[in-house]
Amino acid sequence: MFEIEFNDSGAVVVSGRLDAAQSPKAQAFLDRVMDECIVDMKALEYISSAGLGVLLKTHKRLMSNATGLKLVNVNRHINDVFRYSGFDKLFKIETAGA
Amino acid sequence: MKKKYKRSFDEIREIVADTTRFFADENIDQSLRMKVDLSLEELFVNMVNYNTETTHDILIEMRPIASGIEVSLTDYDVDRFDPSESGTVDINAPLEERSPGGLGLYLVLKMADSINYEYHGRISKITFTNRLAVANV
Repeated sequence: MFEIEFNDSGAVVVSGRLDAAQSPKAQAFLDRVMDECIVDMKALEYISSAGLGVLLKTHKRLMSNATGLKLVNVNRHINDVFRYSGFDKLFKIETAGA
Repeated sequence: MKKKYKRSFDEIREIVADTTRFFADENIDQSLRMKVDLSLEELFVNMVNYNTETTHDILIEMRPIASGIEVSLTDYDVDRFDPSESGTVDINAPLEERSPGGLGLYLVLKMADSINYEYHGRISKITFTNRLAVANV
């Protein structure tokens, strides 16, 4: 199960498992984001390279306008995936509890 | 556990459910779960995406080993492809030069504690392991 929605503050909230089967849903949603955006990952349990691809594509598009995605409340396991992928050098990331 | 899955991303949900059951039944440490899920999905997706010359289901096998788990994926009537020989990814490249391509297998090589590849009679089998002792180093 994967869910993605805006919260009352305008942040994107993701939850569940962002895998290859769910990445088209995430991409379709994030394609609607046109400005700098916070992505709250507090309830995201899992991400694979398909999900990383969605974040990378969206971030690159937004960075062309000098904005981008900020990833917050990232759990330890997902932060490990970000570090292995070099995403910690590309995104502003705040880990859970930071 | 030994089960065949159709060549569809829709099978990922079933694979996750079966992995959950296997971890519980065999008392596999949950700290290994993320790495196992990631390697399993990336290898399965790679077979679905690139072994398009076959219509056979993909066989997934799991067995407990000392302090961990061994997982195999077998694909039938396909060309040879050893993931351990796949290209590297420059994770230090600037944003404008980054693309998602190759990241999946790169992560498998980082996450798995061992990877073994066998190819005989157009049958391709990839086996990886994850062990608690190595995971916690």
